[in-house]
Amino acid sequence: MTQYRVLPGPEHFLPPAAASMGIYLPNPGEAHINGVIVPEEKAYEEAARQFLMAQVPTIFPGPLVLWAWNEKAAKKAAAVRKLYEILKECVQPGQKPMLIPMPDYRPKYPKINPEVEINPNHPNLTIWHNKIDCCMFIGVHCHQANLSLKIIRGGTSCYTVAMCAQAGHEDAMLSFRDASVEKILKLGEWIRKLKGTVKPRLTTAKTSASN
Amino acid sequence: MSKERIKISPDLYDIMPSDYQDLVQSATYGKEDRGWKDIGTSKELIEQHSLCAGCPESMAFRYILASLPNPEDTVMVGSTGCTSLVFPMVAVHNIHSLFGNQNAIASGLKRALSVRFPDRVKDVVVLAGDGATVDIGLDMTLQAWFRQEKFTTICFDNELYANTGGQESGLMQKGFVAKMAPVGKLFDKVRLPEIARESGCHYVVNCTVSKPSLVEKVIRNSVLIAREIGPTYIQLYTPCILEIGKNSMEGLQEMRDSEKPTERFAYKEYVSEPAKQFLAELAAKDKERKAAAKQLAGKA
Amino acid sequence: MAEIKSHIGTQNKKGQTYTDAWEMMHEAPRNPSFYTGSEVIKEALRRASCDVMIAYPITPQSEAAALIGELFAEGYIGDYFRGESEFAVMSQCAGAAFGGARVFTTTAGPGTMRAMENFPMWAGARLPIQMIVTCRGINSPLSIQPDTIEISYLLNTGMLVWHAETAQDFFDWILKGFMVSEEPEVHLPLALCCDGFFVTHTKDVVNLTPADMCLPPYDPYRSPVPCMDMECPPVRMMRDPFIMKSNYISYATHASWQQEIWAAVERSRKHTIKWINGLIDTENTDAEVVIVASGTAVSQGREAIRLLEDEGVRCGLVKVKSLRPWPGEEIREATKNAKHIFVPEFNVTGWLAKEIKATIPNSERVHAGPHVCGGMTMPPEIIASEIKAALGLRSESLAGRGS
Ligand SMILES: Cc1ncc(C[n+]2csc(CCOP(=O)(O)OP(=O)(O)O)c2C)c(N)n1
Ligand code: SF4
Ligand SMILES: [Mg+2]
Repeated sequence: MTQYRVLPGPEHFLPPAAASMGIYLPNPGEAHINGVIVPEEKAYEEAARQFLMAQVPTIFPGPLVLWAWNEKAAKKAAAVRKLYEILKECVQPGQKPMLIPMPDYRPKYPKINPEVEINPNHPNLTIWHNKIDCCMFIGVHCHQANLSLKIIRGGTSCYTVAMCAQAGHEDAMLSFRDASVEKILKLGEWIRKLKGTVKPRLTTAKTSASN
Repeated sequence: MSKERIKISPDLYDIMPSDYQDLVQSATYGKEDRGWKDIGTSKELIEQHSLCAGCPESMAFRYILASLPNPEDTVMVGSTGCTSLVFPMVAVHNIHSLFGNQNAIASGLKRALSVRFPDRVKDVVVLAGDGATVDIGLDMTLQAWFRQEKFTTICFDNELYANTGGQESGLMQKGFVAKMAPVGKLFDKVRLPEIARESGCHYVVNCTVSKPSLVEKVIRNSVLIAREIGPTYIQLYTPCILEIGKNSMEGLQEMRDSEKPTERFAYKEYVSEPAKQFLAELAAKDKERKAAAKQLAGKA
Repeated sequence: MAEIKSHIGTQNKKGQTYTDAWEMMHEAPRNPSFYTGSEVIKEALRRASCDVMIAYPITPQSEAAALIGELFAEGYIGDYFRGESEFAVMSQCAGAAFGGARVFTTTAGPGTMRAMENFPMWAGARLPIQMIVTCRGINSPLSIQPDTIEISYLLNTGMLVWHAETAQDFFDWILKGFMVSEEPEVHLPLALCCDGFFVTHTKDVVNLTPADMCLPPYDPYRSPVPCMDMECPPVRMMRDPFIMKSNYISYATHASWQQEIWAAVERSRKHTIKWINGLIDTENTDAEVVIVASGTAVSQGREAIRLLEDEGVRCGLVKVKSLRPWPGEEIREATKNAKHIFVPEFNVTGWLAKEIKATIPNSERVHAGPHVCGGMTMPPEIIASEIKAALGLRSESLAGRGS
């Protein structure tokens, strides 16, 4: 059993891939928090708590939901929107939820406009610029999501959540797997349920670990 | 695709960067008579890229992307070189894997798409530099033609290896002094268009990209013939202004100078018999369609 | 996922039923058949729902590659052709995999080396191509004989690398290999290696799954990277854009990408263990002497152990099935009681012994050998005698045999 835990960074000049540190992905019905396998239910609660605690809780929808390439994708997009609306409804004054797309994966040099998008080659730019301290990836291809999650862990203190449609992400601090419309909405329900019970962080996240 | 699939999810439309909103609103995916004239009035399939200012490759890319007969069902294959600075910015799926293997990639790709989509048209178009096409990748270029693989090969001939700093290439002119040709290139420019014809290509054109209407015609023909009959090859002069010491305004003139009747890029075309017949049928159908449209317009 | 499930129970054009892979491999009745290794490859492919196979002749895989051509002619494979060289073939395989196909190929020795530039590209591009490697010599002078040196070159490409001992391994692992390497969190190419001739050209009884069952088709939309068919987003997509600007951001991206390949190798561990029943097999590892081997060296080791038993020397055996992912933990555990670890190999450099030495504590316990190469056989007697020599027991000189 590994002692390694997937925690908010900044972790290292080049943080290791969590899988190479002995972190395993959850099986169906499970999720992970900090690399420890937990029942999915527990992950909803923790993700909701992290969102409500954050000053700039942010959802990063990727190409697989941004584009209506099949019916399911469009429905997931609607659920993502709903989740964002719930988040806005449930936060307290001073908290600023954001919804920023990752429209594609091409390297954009020398820089992107971090206010309107996030890019897997330098996701930290968007995190830093908007002072995002908790984010959730959804609809990003797994390879590109992992690139991003590692870079974010390396250089920022942002808490990362993955709502993955496949097997999940060890490089996120919290990951669901087999994401569906129902799961997205269920996270929304949890946010509603915990509304008002979580004290938001007052200062913006800097370099200190946030959990 | 299935143009219908190039659609942003309505619930997230407002957060998409404007270039994507423009793309779904006014790009010419699925437009029947798309061509170079759409440039300026519609969203192009190419975004900002990092070629040298004034590089004719950028012109060539724009004309080609405007002229593909159905970009919504086209996959392009590139190779290492200056062209690969543009490909990330192209709104058509495209593949870069290694330097020189583009026609091998395209062979596998075209066959996979034919197996997976037996009842649909999926065009494959290769676009690579002269070093990739003629030197390091020559065997794969030719073998794909020998095998009659049904895709188009476009070579951006800038007569040298631009991306690595201007070394000698097989398509370089004899006598040109370049890196790795310190006393001037000692052998003739390889005659790939003729080799292409002998290797089984059904449509071969050698020209510059000075005239968009010509590029449009050539690209359209080459893709349609490749789809129905067999391999096609287009060699386009896209001078590397950086390495031949021209400034950014001089690319067009350089092409015009080189396409004069006695020059090496004078328009040359070869069309095989089956391809001729196909083009004639196509022209007849086009005429019919246009006449019908006219009649319809007259009635209305 | 849903799409895959919906195929199960339906029939392909050859009348085979798409069957849940676990059920097909573990529960369906098996039919003992007497086949050469090459014929076994063909029979596995018949059941693999393979979209594209690309072939090139090189001994000792030519027969298998040609037999798969017959399968294509019968309609079991989507497309099949002979490429112009192994370099081209591996790029053609890549093209087909970029386009969303399940792809299979075979090669050997100089072919593996000729194609080498493709393998890290395959892994970096996350293409789950399966390549059979029927190992043979690679250096000058030319040799077509079995020799496992080429495996060492594959170990750092980012591919999954398995080493089959028998034709039965081969049959099962070809089919199971697709299941492991196509998992979305793995999605890496697999080099399924065997020792040429010893496995390919000898006949053995192999238990085959029913010929009217086949694997569910590959679903390219579960891939961790977009499939290049213009059917899935994003539409503005290059596989794979350069990351070579000279700045920290680019370096970090490329580093993260490399780490992701090796993370995917790690993730394959769980699935490999499940499908091929552990990364290693062990017998009597409580003994003081343990042989650790892969490929046919395992069979020879097993024979040597029998010979040693007759002389009262007890010896354990570790069969290394997967080289990537590397069974470090498993080997440490299996050799923890051993005072002497012997690593017989069919190559001159002893790459397996080096890997093991780098894995276990007190690596001086490892006796790197015996080695044979260039096509030589490895009589069990030489393993036994090397073990006896190390234990200070007398053994007859083998070099003098036959004189
Ligand atoms: C196997 C291999 N050899 C060499 C290179 C280096 N290389 C990269 S681009 C290039 C030249 C490309 O020339 P060309 O195909 O003419 O394209 P251009 O840049 O001129 O458009 C070379 C030699 C490489 N990337 N891979
Ligand atoms: S180096 Fe030459 S070919 Fe490359 S972008 Fe610049 S001008 Fe164009
Ligand atoms: Mg060039």
